[in-house]
Amino acid sequence: MFATPVYAAAEGSAEHGGALFTLFGLEVTSVTTTMWGLMLFLTVFSFLATRKLGKVPTRRLQIFMEMGLEQILGFLTGIIGDEAKTKRYFPVLGSFFILILSSNYSGLLPGAGHIPGLQAPTSTLSVTAAFAIVVFFATHYYGFKEKGWGYLKHFVQPIPILLPLNIVEEFTKPLSLSLRLFGNIYSEEMVIVGLFSLMPLFLPVPMQLLSLLFGFIQALVFTLLASIYISTATAGH
Amino acid sequence: MSFSVSDMIWAIINFLILVVILNKFLFKPLLKTMDARKDEIKQDLDAAAQANAEAQKTKEEYLKQMEEAKADAQQIIVQATKIGEETREKLVNQAQEEASRMAEKAREMIRLEKDEALRQLRDEVASLVVMAAGKVIEQTIDLEAHEQLIREFIAEAGDAS
Repeated sequence: MFATPVYAAAEGSAEHGGALFTLFGLEVTSVTTTMWGLMLFLTVFSFLATRKLGKVPTRRLQIFMEMGLEQILGFLTGIIGDEAKTKRYFPVLGSFFILILSSNYSGLLPGAGHIPGLQAPTSTLSVTAAFAIVVFFATHYYGFKEKGWGYLKHFVQPIPILLPLNIVEEFTKPLSLSLRLFGNIYSEEMVIVGLFSLMPLFLPVPMQLLSLLFGFIQALVFTLLASIYISTATAGH
Repeated sequence: MSFSVSDMIWAIINFLILVVILNKFLFKPLLKTMDARKDEIKQDLDAAAQANAEAQKTKEEYLKQMEEAKADAQQIIVQATKIGEETREKLVNQAQEEASRMAEKAREMIRLEKDEALRQLRDEVASLVVMAAGKVIEQTIDLEAHEQLIREFIAEAGDAS
């Protein structure tokens, strides 16, 4: 009995609201406007966090940001293995983490998916695919930058017959990245929307709490995999 | 579920812009501050270690000097004691020598005096004898008186010696 209304509610609310307007010939949807909002928020936040940076940190925001940064940097250094190298790729990887995390959490804002102009960007495959494409190009860009044409050698290693498989692998990487992130966030939202339609008051709360955790984990997993791809592509043989 | 190419393109553009913004306004300033702090702490620690090492060296030098000074003092004391001992011995020897020399001199003088006295006595005795002989001759003394006279003379001479 419940299945039909839940599904219907999910279909109706978490789906694209369609184009809000068109800019430079490209449709602007709720997903894009939410991203812009997040970018604005993150920019303001960055300004606030780096205002009056002290060598001896006294402001809580600075301490919090430094701790966070140190954590992410340490985490990525553990994967990539070299701190100088990690710092080189950190702008991209750190931005991925921050943007995906805030995108995932934006889906928990009240009215996300219902109000036009507010929808978690990572709950659509278009956005997660975009991120995966960036990772794809970043991986090969850094690979070429670090090793020149020798980078192509890894496609015929350990034996040349694996060339087709290696090429396929390069394309499954972004595919799995984008589908994983999209699937997790989208399904979370579906579940929350479903629970909300059943009983708006208390029922979605546990799932929303779990979403806080999953949103973090998915952001971490995406960054982790991206850094593994980049570090594999740039590692010397 | 639908796939929107516009969304995808916007997401790529947005992400690239965000990378620039975050890198410029968040990562770089924070990392710079953190690195600066790390460097400063490292410098401070290095300086502290250096100062500590220097202090340790100075202390060792100081202790060595103390030790040397102590040894020197000990040596000086030993030397001084030795010199004192030697001086004392020398002085005592000198004094003894002096004393024995003086005693010798005194004995020599006494001997000379005695010789002189004996010589004088002898002269006196001779003249007395001559005088007595003269008197005897003058008075024509008898045997008894003569004997008396000699006895007196001897007693006189014995007193004089």
